[in-house]
Amino acid sequence: MEDLKLTLKKQIIEELNLQNITVEDIGDDMPLFAEGLGLDSIDALELVVIMEKHHGIKITDESVGKEVLHSIDTMAAYIQAENAANK
Amino acid sequence: MRISAASTISHQDTFQHKGFSAALTGLKQGAQVLEPDYTKFIAPMELRRMSEVLKMAIVCAVDCLDQAELEQPDAIVVGTAIGCAVHTKNFMDKILASDGGLISPTSFILSTHNTIAGQISLRLKNHGYNMTHTQNSLSFEQALMDAMLCVKGGCKQVLAGAADELETSLYDIKARLHQEHAIPVCGASFFVLSAEAVVGSDINLVDVESLGLVTGLTEHIATFLSSNKLSAADIDLLLYSNSTQNTVDELTTIFGNGKLYDYQAISGTYLTNSAFALHFGIDALSYTSHPLFGENVRNVLICNNLIPENLGLILLNKTY
Amino acid sequence: MKVFVTGIGVVSAIGLDVEENLQSLKSSSTGISRDNNYGLMLGKVRLSNQQIIDLLELPSGIYSRTTLLALLAGKEAWGAHTHDKNIRTGLVSATSIGGMDQTEQYYHESKKNDAAQIIGEMTFDNGRTTEQLAAALNFSGYIGTISTACSSGANAIMQGARLLEGNKLDRVLVGGSDPLALFNIKGFGALNIYDQNICKPFDDARKGLNLGEGAGFLLLENEHSLSITGSKPLCLLTGWNNASDAYHQTASSPDGRGASLAMVNALAKANLVPEEISYINAHGTGTGNNDLSESMALKAVFGEKIPPFSSTKGFTGHTLAAAGAIEAVYCVLSIQAQALLPNLNFSNPMKETGMMPENRFRSGVPVVFVLSNSFGFGGNCTCLIFRKAQ
Repeated sequence: MEDLKLTLKKQIIEELNLQNITVEDIGDDMPLFAEGLGLDSIDALELVVIMEKHHGIKITDESVGKEVLHSIDTMAAYIQAENAANK
Repeated sequence: MRISAASTISHQDTFQHKGFSAALTGLKQGAQVLEPDYTKFIAPMELRRMSEVLKMAIVCAVDCLDQAELEQPDAIVVGTAIGCAVHTKNFMDKILASDGGLISPTSFILSTHNTIAGQISLRLKNHGYNMTHTQNSLSFEQALMDAMLCVKGGCKQVLAGAADELETSLYDIKARLHQEHAIPVCGASFFVLSAEAVVGSDINLVDVESLGLVTGLTEHIATFLSSNKLSAADIDLLLYSNSTQNTVDELTTIFGNGKLYDYQAISGTYLTNSAFALHFGIDALSYTSHPLFGENVRNVLICNNLIPENLGLILLNKTY
Repeated sequence: MKVFVTGIGVVSAIGLDVEENLQSLKSSSTGISRDNNYGLMLGKVRLSNQQIIDLLELPSGIYSRTTLLALLAGKEAWGAHTHDKNIRTGLVSATSIGGMDQTEQYYHESKKNDAAQIIGEMTFDNGRTTEQLAAALNFSGYIGTISTACSSGANAIMQGARLLEGNKLDRVLVGGSDPLALFNIKGFGALNIYDQNICKPFDDARKGLNLGEGAGFLLLENEHSLSITGSKPLCLLTGWNNASDAYHQTASSPDGRGASLAMVNALAKANLVPEEISYINAHGTGTGNNDLSESMALKAVFGEKIPPFSSTKGFTGHTLAAAGAIEAVYCVLSIQAQALLPNLNFSNPMKETGMMPENRFRSGVPVVFVLSNSFGFGGNCTCLIFRKAQ
């Protein structure tokens, strides 16, 4: 799980071009949007792409997206849960 | 109408450099764009997405508003020939690389030509008129004509400008213009046009013309000048783009040898470099006695013949 | 200063000319169908590029589909007009794709092929397709291109009207054109903005848009031009405005501020109160965001008395830069036919508003003032108002 969270942080920094941010700056439970990391709705679309491209998880429902993409913790938990369900 | 602010980012020392028209010499091959510290103007979280053309345009726009002490322009009008070409290219690369799955959308979102004008309005939370003209070498002239219509229609202050970036894999400007010696560059220039006389500004934008698919310069220039009650003899400085020898010969015949100045040699080559020329002309007019052009420079004409079948004319003067 | 509309031309998924488009509108026949290649619902023009080249008898060469569609509609609008040194005539077109339908083909080749590279570059100039249209119709002088994404076509029309009003021109051919190309099909796909089935503008269950292609053109003349050409006005263009939403690069604000401003200012320009509008042709793309935002704007401007309104994108798909121009032609047809145009695929009003669009082609209705909305990326909002000629 820790590896997955680290991987997610690296992918977010890379794909969202967060030039001044390191993995240490992103807390596991830090809200990714608004007051936490400060991502916006264009970034939200990119996170959906990361989930699909790198982790095979499709997010098509906006309300699901809002919950799942809340923090690194919620993203990692969802990936694990979906992978377990698909075994 | 008055021009109350001007700002240019280019491959020369132009940004926030009053008097640059006397200081610059011909652009050298390999010169890089002289970027200001963008982080002073744009937050990192916004900067991270922006291609060069967006950064340049936004910073020039903000600089202009500072100069004019203007919070909100009544209108924002932009000319751009190749738009957000880098984002366009990036998205095309992503399409090529994708295997049918989801493609990252940011490049697409930022690729439309009006992203420049749109991002400026977004930053300012400006709800006014917002327009983008994309007619290759005439994009800036059309943006200026539009801005003048805005002022005539009641706008007090209009932010108008042009920007183009360097993206030769999509548009090889040397090949397109058949100009072997051209130095392809990027550039952005913005201006504030004001309806009323603004203290400290005595530079006027008098008239602009955009002529597509035309031949020859002489008749068109004569018509343009006479409709402004001027003749060639009244022009003190003729700024031109060095498109062909024919252009130079024809302009020399019309205006004589002493008044011509090749702005393209200074600005480098990009399709909207007549915007650079306008700033150059404004800067030249700000001198009482210009080191290159002398005293009593009053009427300046910009002749943009960068694409030979297109002719852009911009007339400015100084109120003494 | 009056702006007369004296010519119209259109090509879309529902027809290759004005008459065909009108018949489809009358019979509520959509042009959107499933494309097997992309697996998407698309509003395709039913001619290939070669078929358009043959139809127009063009010399062989490289033509962007943008140019070809523009030529079909532009020629129809220009009609039998000729150039006259006493009539200052110009052209303002609009496109978001421009020549990129060609560029992208050659770009994908150009990594290994110089000739392809050259063609790719040659076509990557947004204004070039307008120049090709101008050259084909022998225009010279003011030839311009507007590119503001989905509001482009409406903005080109507005620009033409302003050039007339500013006494720069007497007669101007205005409109927009966009083809279906890999770039925009993949681009909108990346935004996850499609309805996988046919779009349902203003419906509570709407899921997104369908892309379309086409071109629409109008010929505008002032009184001076009219006195020489003797054209019979189809209607007048009496109000226009452009305003910015300034909310987000791609999404519209929840309260539709930019849209409201554009409509309020266009009404003021036309010297009208909201009650005088007979019919509204909405932007109505079928996305969750646009239709709600636009509905809120309509409520803000018209209060409880919202005039009959519909989106015609259920017929054509969203034709991007052509949309504002194609829909302007439909507004002229609405006035000519004295009819309200239908909003296809509507079943249930949005929970938030309860608003019900017009869902039939309803003739025998007095149509005097028609309002048309077009909203583009970058928060660009444009409103045009047409008036029946007396």
